[in-house]
Amino acid sequence: MRSRLRVAGLLVALAAAILFNAGTFAQGARPPDIAGEWRLDNGEDPGQPPLADYLGIPFNEAGRMRADTTPESIWGTPEYQCRPHSAPHQWRGVGGARILKDLDPISREIVGYRLQYMRSLDRPIFMDGRPHPPAYAPHSWSGFSTGEWIGHTLKVTTTHLKDGYLKRGGPQTSDMLTMTEFITRHDDILTVVQVVDDPIYLDEPWVLSITSSYDPNAGPPTENCSGNAFAENGGRDRHWVPHFLPGQNTGIGEFLKTQDWIPLEPVRGGVKTIYPEYRSVLAGVTKLDTLKVPSSKSANDVAERIAAQSPKDGEVHVLPIQGNVYMVVADGTNITASVGRDGIAIVNTGSAQMTDKLLAALTELSREVVSPQTTNNCFGANCPGIPSWSSPYFNAVVSSPRPARPVRYIINTSAASEHVGGNAKIAASATFRRAGTGSFGGATRAIGETATIVAHENVLSAMSTPKDKSAAAPEGAWPVDTFFDEFYKLSEYVNGEPVIAYSAPAANTDGDSFVFFRHSEVIAAGNLFSTISYPVIDLGKGGSIQGVIDGLNHMLDLAVAEYRSQGGTWIVPGRGRLSDTADVASYRNMLVMIRDRVADLKKKGMTLQQVKAARPTLDFDGRFGATTGPWTTDMFVDAVFKSLPEAK
Amino acid sequence: MTRLAVACALVSICAIATVVPVHAQRGRGGGAAAPANARSAAPIDITGYWVSPITEDWKYRMVTPKKGVFDALPLNAEGRKVGESWDPARDDAAGEQCRAYGAPAIMRVPGRLHITWQDDQTMKVETDAGTQTRLLQFGTAAASGEPSWQGHSIAQWNVAGRSLKVVTTNLRAGYIRKNGAPYSAKTVLTEYWDLNTLPNGDRYLTVTTRVEDPVYFTRPLQTSSDFKKLADATGWNPTPCSSR
Repeated sequence: MRSRLRVAGLLVALAAAILFNAGTFAQGARPPDIAGEWRLDNGEDPGQPPLADYLGIPFNEAGRMRADTTPESIWGTPEYQCRPHSAPHQWRGVGGARILKDLDPISREIVGYRLQYMRSLDRPIFMDGRPHPPAYAPHSWSGFSTGEWIGHTLKVTTTHLKDGYLKRGGPQTSDMLTMTEFITRHDDILTVVQVVDDPIYLDEPWVLSITSSYDPNAGPPTENCSGNAFAENGGRDRHWVPHFLPGQNTGIGEFLKTQDWIPLEPVRGGVKTIYPEYRSVLAGVTKLDTLKVPSSKSANDVAERIAAQSPKDGEVHVLPIQGNVYMVVADGTNITASVGRDGIAIVNTGSAQMTDKLLAALTELSREVVSPQTTNNCFGANCPGIPSWSSPYFNAVVSSPRPARPVRYIINTSAASEHVGGNAKIAASATFRRAGTGSFGGATRAIGETATIVAHENVLSAMSTPKDKSAAAPEGAWPVDTFFDEFYKLSEYVNGEPVIAYSAPAANTDGDSFVFFRHSEVIAAGNLFSTISYPVIDLGKGGSIQGVIDGLNHMLDLAVAEYRSQGGTWIVPGRGRLSDTADVASYRNMLVMIRDRVADLKKKGMTLQQVKAARPTLDFDGRFGATTGPWTTDMFVDAVFKSLPEAK
Repeated sequence: MTRLAVACALVSICAIATVVPVHAQRGRGGGAAAPANARSAAPIDITGYWVSPITEDWKYRMVTPKKGVFDALPLNAEGRKVGESWDPARDDAAGEQCRAYGAPAIMRVPGRLHITWQDDQTMKVETDAGTQTRLLQFGTAAASGEPSWQGHSIAQWNVAGRSLKVVTTNLRAGYIRKNGAPYSAKTVLTEYWDLNTLPNGDRYLTVTTRVEDPVYFTRPLQTSSDFKKLADATGWNPTPCSSR
């Protein structure tokens, strides 16, 4: 017996020795501490970049055009006045950086980092293994970052970025940008290698690196936004979008007056200009056209990512937004739903094929909201919602929850089939559960028999007007409560808040509107706004480019950003990802730029074909255009051209 | 004590004993027991051909700025004075066209690198621009001989960190920027070489550089230079130093 104990003791000693050994290895491999204050200490590209300096940027044609046509004064628009630095520029902004650790309180393992800069929003880096959000989730200035250690280098992957800029002075990015960073600490130097992959505007990923030095006294100060600092637009027109027409940016090459050793050609950027081979062009030995360089490919499948914002997968996806409101993505079409104890109010009903799945999702959502699964946290006879004494009823009640609340309101933002397809079936599904006869002598009997369908009266006209031999939509799908004024307020609060539909005259059609949930701060934009395509403008049904722009401007007037030009009022597009004021402003800016370009060409006497050949949408086509499908770039330019006044 | 107990005790002692040399052999970066030589100890393979895409400092690297353009350089008054006296014709006449191709500056010169192992303890870095050769010597051999453009480089792997540290001294005075911005012979160059794989599969070598010059600089100059791995020698184009 004693010898067995000795053996056991020695085995324990052996195990301890092995564990000690393994632990020592693990500790030795532990990455260095990157937390702390980092002073920007980069002896490269100093100071504020001059306007239109694209040296070293592998711009494609679209990127160059976008940069050329976007002035710095875009910061003067109300929606951009507090815009922080975009993620690609964060490490280069003045003020240095601070890296904070986020520790698990139990294991004390690092589960994340948070990056802080002076003129940028904080950027969390999640290290807990969570995935990146779905493509239809919102984008932000700092994006969504996850990290993993590779040796002593922290690899950070950032997605869900808003469109912004590579650096000051013009170079823009699209919201399809992904950024990969490799953060390495060597002694007291922090090196960050950035890989900016934006195939909308770049021919290959832009790779650059920056160094900072550890300095405990160099913590970045906070720069609070002051809109007054950007008063360029003040008092003129809050909807004014400053931009240059193509070829009219007088700032191009301006800085070469003082930096005259630089030729103009490379200032325009381009992948061929960044490789050493380009020196043969500078020497006059080779022509740029024939120059070959070892360029790289993007790893960013933009077409796939844009499509994923509006997944045509035959499924329903629910994204909680704010307050009572949810975004429901049904086979790529967005439905906005207010869910609460009053019932459900939805904006649009999706396509007819998705109705059953949509209803099932709404019912489940309502059940979760009205009767959330919870444990017993109340005792005695006065627990809200529990009859009599809490125990033992509570557990019985939670296992047999209150039924879901019905859909009571449907608001259609247009008569488009993808927005009214479920009207009839969903409206008919809306009944309150009654115990026999109606109460109050039947006075409330009408309430809840069917959902009330609300829309602009032109939606009713479009749905009820005979098409061939019958109406465009069955009668049960028609709006029963229509409006023809600027706006329409639901006659009662729904789930504790006002709901208002605003008309957008002559926009996509003559019957568009958008809906504002005034307490939850959510706007359902309908077809006025999409993050996957140019707006569909049906000239035959009274649409116009100016009407769409006006509708977006109206939306922006109502919406308020929460902080640094992001968040706050959320905007649900007809298709695509959940958005905010900055996203809508970006879309509006694009449409204004395109409108003005087409108008300018038209004014010069160009025909429609000549205008199309001039490619006035070139810098946005990669992001919003299409060459096939129901709404092509060609059709969009056609609609813009024809909806603008004739040249005088 | 039974035989089994004795055996277990011996195993335990051996297990503990293995820990001691591991601790003793581990360098600053940690890692396993020291391999026989630097080549076999390499935690990353940086051999092959590399090209430098010039995405930063384009205006100071792809073209030669005017005399007196010292933006971003921490030159002191004496350094500026020397820089202002830059005369490429004088350098040509003196056979000193390679002053801007010394170790503190060569990684910023647009071009290709060819990295190989000269022997188990020496890594060779050749540049096609200026046709220069750097020898990164692993170990602690002290600098000897005359100062040179590429100086004497001592290299050290950080095995756990998967990076390389190189310290270079014994340099000839040269130009940190091609327009005559000087560094002195007392300059100490410290470099950290890191290898990263991009999402598109490209492999990038980033060399973080700190140049400390007590004669012409007010503070150290920090830069980082990026190189993309190439499949082969295509584009390798050795050219002589140029003073302009």
